[in-house]
Amino acid sequence: MSNSDKAVVVDRIRKTFGEVVALDDISFDIGRGEVIGLLGPNGAGKTTIVDILSTLSRPDRGRATVAGYDVVSEPAGVRRSIMLTGQHTAIDDMLTGYENLVMFGRLFGLSKSAARARASELIGEFDLVDAGNRRVGTYSGGMRRRIDIACGLVVQPQVAFLDEPTTGLDPRSRQGIWDLVARFKSAGIATLLTTQYLEEADELSDRIIVIDHGSVIAEGTADELKARTGGSFCEIVPRHLKDLPAIAAALGSLLPEKNRAALTSESERIALPAPRGANTLVETVWRLAAANIEVADVGLRRPSLDDVFLALTEDSSASRAPVTEVMQ
Amino acid sequence: MTAATPARSRPSTFAQWWVLTVRFIIPTLRNGELALTIASSVVFTAGLYIPLSHVMGTATKGVSSSYAQYIMPLIALQAVTFAAMSTAFRAATDSLQGLNRRFRSMPMAPLTPVAARISAAVYRCSVALAVALICGHVIGFRFYRGAEYITGFCVLVIVVGAVMSFGADLVGTGSRNPEAMTPLFILPPLIFGLLSVGVQPVRQFPHWIQPIVRNQPISQFVDAMRVLGGDTTPAAGAVTWSVMMPTLAWLSGLAVVLVPVSAIVLSKRQ
Repeated sequence: MSNSDKAVVVDRIRKTFGEVVALDDISFDIGRGEVIGLLGPNGAGKTTIVDILSTLSRPDRGRATVAGYDVVSEPAGVRRSIMLTGQHTAIDDMLTGYENLVMFGRLFGLSKSAARARASELIGEFDLVDAGNRRVGTYSGGMRRRIDIACGLVVQPQVAFLDEPTTGLDPRSRQGIWDLVARFKSAGIATLLTTQYLEEADELSDRIIVIDHGSVIAEGTADELKARTGGSFCEIVPRHLKDLPAIAAALGSLLPEKNRAALTSESERIALPAPRGANTLVETVWRLAAANIEVADVGLRRPSLDDVFLALTEDSSASRAPVTEVMQ
Repeated sequence: MTAATPARSRPSTFAQWWVLTVRFIIPTLRNGELALTIASSVVFTAGLYIPLSHVMGTATKGVSSSYAQYIMPLIALQAVTFAAMSTAFRAATDSLQGLNRRFRSMPMAPLTPVAARISAAVYRCSVALAVALICGHVIGFRFYRGAEYITGFCVLVIVVGAVMSFGADLVGTGSRNPEAMTPLFILPPLIFGLLSVGVQPVRQFPHWIQPIVRNQPISQFVDAMRVLGGDTTPAAGAVTWSVMMPTLAWLSGLAVVLVPVSAIVLSKRQ
């Protein structure tokens, strides 16, 4: 892909606050219409990246372009092309939802009638018809988020920055925001979504960038990241712990020597790699049945992004649960 | 996100300023802010005139035809100060709610939100001044010069309000703490108001503090307003450069200081 296909290009950006290095030569890009999940713990540098890309802060070094505009030398062009929602909603509590939408429409250059028409349209689209004429100060967290995002969409942005959009929301509201982000994709808006929630990055993003201490430590699709951590595995939970040695014996060649050696008297479950996926599971169940061993649970597992994240950010993997040891 | 989604264009600064100004004015009609502005002008008139008129009436004899005539500039200034200082509260709320941050990521000049808050302050100041003048009329204050002097009196008060709201805006924006703004409403107006020639002539103050009382800005503003208002006694003085200069110097000096300070406050990472 040439650079013109990129909505965002970040090239070796560095940013320090006094002695603290917030971003250390970070580079990545976002294609047009692509949703990127920027994943990292608190203080990893997620908001600093968003601030630089939305022209709120300047990098010490390096270059970044958004919608083809340089964030340092052409901030006006960047600002015309983006929408930003921060970790906290930024709307006027004194105004109603509808009035907020009209205000942002006018601020983005719509005429009064166009801004009103667009506000009514968004109120409907964002499922806020009943609340549209109430002051935003009376809204629930999920409704505030929705109107906050809607205010960024009164005119179509090319790039959207969503900085932890679901932090502090209940599961239903979170699902509502997820549905919205899915619509960003269909509208062709390049989206940078920062989050601490792995399931969120997994659900919404085309690609995930994991950062920690201001550096990119992994990048790829959710599947690629999971594969890096070891792929699918089969997990067996015996009904009686004393059956564990018998299970290990019954599995025979299915259980590699390494996993067998990892079993101790403390182990509560057995995990084995499942290179053939469901076939490995069927074979496992068949062998256990043949040996007449009762199990509480047996299943095919894929590593969660939590596993990936912990594996990537943890210096020492020795302290991990037996399941993870099997995967490595 | 529908097919009809409008495309982005270059918005006009004037339209943005107007939209943001209206944003502050509309809620004042329904959240009681307008009522509070009106009430405060009435309270300042009653609070200054009723307790002081008897005692100070004697002290100001010969300087002014009545104590209402004497105290009116201070009443007007206090009412406008109160209206201007609430800008700090709105600015701090905007900072706290993240609106300033969001505006900075939008195609908008950095001073536009500040200008809009000052314009909204000018609106509140105008209401406060109008009510104060009505109250002043009730207690006996009258303008004794022509329409151009009345205009000068009003414009001067509003400009003072605008400059104070600019300062209050920067304090609020920088602090991001609306609650912490309360002392700003009370202390400086109280101290500068009472230690000025607005309450009593400078010779009534102890000797050691007279230079401060005479030269502090509120006294200078009061002097200028007093001559613009006029009086029946010759002691009121004439509108001359020597009376007006200190006021104009204070106002332009404050503006000259506030502009670079605003550049620092507004560029600060929030």
